[in-house]
Amino acid sequence: MGITEKINRNIDITSWKGKIPVNYIYTAGIAGEKFFREIKDNAKIVGTKCEKCEVTYVPPKIYCERCFARLENYIDVGTKGTIHTFTILHENLDGTKKEEPTIIAVVKIDGTDGGLIHWLGEIDPKDVKIGMHIKAVFKSKEKREGSILDIKYFKPI
Amino acid sequence: MIKKVAIVGVGYTNFRSTTPDLSYRELTYEAATKAYEEAGVDPRKDIDSFVSTAEDFFEGYSIADEYCPDQLGAVLKPVNTIAGDFLQSLITAYMMILTGRLNIVAVQAMSKASNMTTLGELELFAFDPVFNRPLAENPHFVAGLEMNRYLHDTKTTREQCAKVVVKNKKNALNNPYAGHGAKITVEDVLNSKIISYPLTHLDISPASDGAVVMVLASEEIAKKLTRKPIWIRGVGWCSDTFSLESRDWGESTSTRLAAEMAYKMADIDNPKKEIDVVELSDIYSYKELQHLEALKFCNKGEAGKMIDNGITEIGGELPVNPSGGSLGVGHLYECSGAQKTLEIVLQLRGEVGKRQVKNANIGLAHSWRGVPTTTSVIAILGN
Repeated sequence: MGITEKINRNIDITSWKGKIPVNYIYTAGIAGEKFFREIKDNAKIVGTKCEKCEVTYVPPKIYCERCFARLENYIDVGTKGTIHTFTILHENLDGTKKEEPTIIAVVKIDGTDGGLIHWLGEIDPKDVKIGMHIKAVFKSKEKREGSILDIKYFKPI
Repeated sequence: MIKKVAIVGVGYTNFRSTTPDLSYRELTYEAATKAYEEAGVDPRKDIDSFVSTAEDFFEGYSIADEYCPDQLGAVLKPVNTIAGDFLQSLITAYMMILTGRLNIVAVQAMSKASNMTTLGELELFAFDPVFNRPLAENPHFVAGLEMNRYLHDTKTTREQCAKVVVKNKKNALNNPYAGHGAKITVEDVLNSKIISYPLTHLDISPASDGAVVMVLASEEIAKKLTRKPIWIRGVGWCSDTFSLESRDWGESTSTRLAAEMAYKMADIDNPKKEIDVVELSDIYSYKELQHLEALKFCNKGEAGKMIDNGITEIGGELPVNPSGGSLGVGHLYECSGAQKTLEIVLQLRGEVGKRQVKNANIGLAHSWRGVPTTTSVIAILGN
């Protein structure tokens, strides 16, 4: 043992509570700006396509993950997709039990290689299946602020 | 011909759910003292360089690396810190010795998870801030999503995942350094509270504290320092895209590619035949099965059968996580790969008593950095 005198009564142990107030501004970047502006103004989802790799990125990126090419070809990819996988979450961030579980899915947007991570709504958790066809439900225009939360959830078609 | 490098000393604390009596620095000091004693080296005179492992937010500091030298005996010496897993630090130390300019290098990792009072929020802070973080959901959901897709693709069952928990917690009962050994049943796992379907409470390894320090040396020095050098035969590391939107949900591609790199270096053609003991990442139960497939110990979808047939038990054909793994020892964050490597070293030296794997000559240690990461690291060790 590296030390010879140990603390052997819990009552003798003190601790200090530290807090890290983390405030930060994140900019969405060129592709992110375009993506969130389309959601806010037009309730549309856009991606970028790499013609060489035949890969469409949703959310859009300005570079191809595979060939590292610069991507400038933005396309409207519609608002429909399929459930690639899902989970039913019963705990809050702090580990307490949720009043109602939330259903979270990886939504593969039709005709693309990407998708969005979002909630499912207007469906009973026990009816959710992988492969189910779904579409985005947007907040009304006046409530949209250019955030991923401008999509309320995806619902079955 | 690549130079040979060996692990010549290990030091570790017990791994426990809390360690209120020691500060995180004292935890490392304990492991370091033991490692230097075992290797017979004086850190102030003999060790040429030190590699520590730290994630700022998990340590509770900005620039946490500046807090690493003292407790390692590394003040006013060459030190660098890896913001990743211990195995990445081990590979860094290994490469330093391969340069031929350094002969003895110490490597460290530590977890004081019990100090993190807002673990969920700290983990959420690792998510993409604009696309994922606004959902503000418990990060275990990522494992729930992945487990569901893995089960769907491979027809593996929740029962087979539960068997992993039963096995690993049982193995931990024979491990004095493990904090979460237990005798439980498949039903206990399936009936424990659902966290993120299909994942239950017992499918998730419990956060734990502990520290590990190892001393690495070049061939000539290693042979002088110990009669049981454990040689590094191969290493591999790989990161997939971080995007939740475009990553592979069914398999651990980064593990597969890291394995290919390590096997090539270690000249391993048939991992199942050539490797005697495996410690792989089981932060969640299904990950053990998914990683067995990615490490090519079986074809995709066959890992469930391996657990059904007892192949991965200590007495089986390919013992996996004889230490108890993260499920039985505890989830050690950046120190996860250190516990895996530690167990392989002790197994190859034949020093683990009841949980000893017979004829263990080649072992594989693997780590994955937990949700939401996609980084996998592998070291193949031999005696």
